Amino acid sequence: MSSFSGLAALPVLRDDFVVQRRLVTDRDLNTSVVIGRITPGPKGLYIVSLGYYAGGFPGAAAAWLALITPALLVIPLLAFASRRAREPRVRQVLNTLVLASAGVSLSATFPLALDAVRGPWTLAIAVLSLVVLVIAEAGTIWVVAGGATTCLLLFWTRVATF
Amino acid sequence: MTASEIAGVFARVGNLTFGGGAATTAALQREMLVRRKWLDEGAYALCYVLSRITPGTNLFAFCTAAGWLMRRWTGALTALLAASVPCCLVVWLTTAGFDAIRENSSIQAAVAGAMAASVGILLGSFWSLVRPHLTRRKWPRSMTIVCASGVLSLAAGMPPLAVFAVAAAAGLVWKEPVEE
Repeated sequence: MSSFSGLAALPVLRDDFVVQRRLVTDRDLNTSVVIGRITPGPKGLYIVSLGYYAGGFPGAAAAWLALITPALLVIPLLAFASRRAREPRVRQVLNTLVLASAGVSLSATFPLALDAVRGPWTLAIAVLSLVVLVIAEAGTIWVVAGGATTCLLLFWTRVATF
Repeated sequence: MTASEIAGVFARVGNLTFGGGAATTAALQREMLVRRKWLDEGAYALCYVLSRITPGTNLFAFCTAAGWLMRRWTGALTALLAASVPCCLVVWLTTAGFDAIRENSSIQAAVAGAMAASVGILLGSFWSLVRPHLTRRKWPRSMTIVCASGVLSLAAGMPPLAVFAVAAAAGLVWKEPVEE
């Protein structure tokens, strides 16, 4: 509840779980962060991994509950804001925020691209995914599956390593 | 849209997209806004911005907000659970078997491909958000806002909340050109 994105809570969690209560080690914490990055969904899911290290399945379940309950706070915000969303000035601000979110989203692409695009094959997959999405309007699931399958085939046929 | 359709989309997209919450939000945007037209642009913007100012995981707040707009409590809870339960189970299983998974080169290759595809998804989402605002009259204002937001976020390291506050202020004073 005290942070506005998953990894921002990391110092607080380290202080609580590693330093104060000694429920997990730094190695467990680092492994949790890695797992959050290599699994689907938000990176903040490392908290579920941390919960598992701290308390097994009940710990993971408690972490899941802790992750999802703050999300419900968006509902009263939405109920308040959507009543005003049709006013022209509010719509103008919302349109501006759409553009700002595009800019923020583009800035989020850079660190992901630096991490994900490590050679010509992954570059080709990224470009092809964009083309397929924009021109063919393919479903994102198929694009992700296509990327994963392509790299798998390249690996199995020893054309590339990842 | 029915609750089962909402569950299907959020479960598939929310749990099969790699690259973090931004990539998953981008993928959901394509499904809901572009392909299925469950939300319009204004509704999407509202969900996106409000999810950024809600404590906790932005993606789950976004799913809750989008579900709420579609089918109130049924939609909100369906979207939240569909987007969160499967991926949490994957994390739990991955943690339990991490040493075996870490050594598996095939899994590493598949994840590398999925993450590369997520870069394309993010760029595609960017394009579908910006394209409607690139008319002859609107594009200077639109591109200024997009570029300024990107620079503030990436180069200046400003948190998204602060970038949206600046953008909201700009939106209040800088009038959108009216189409002829």
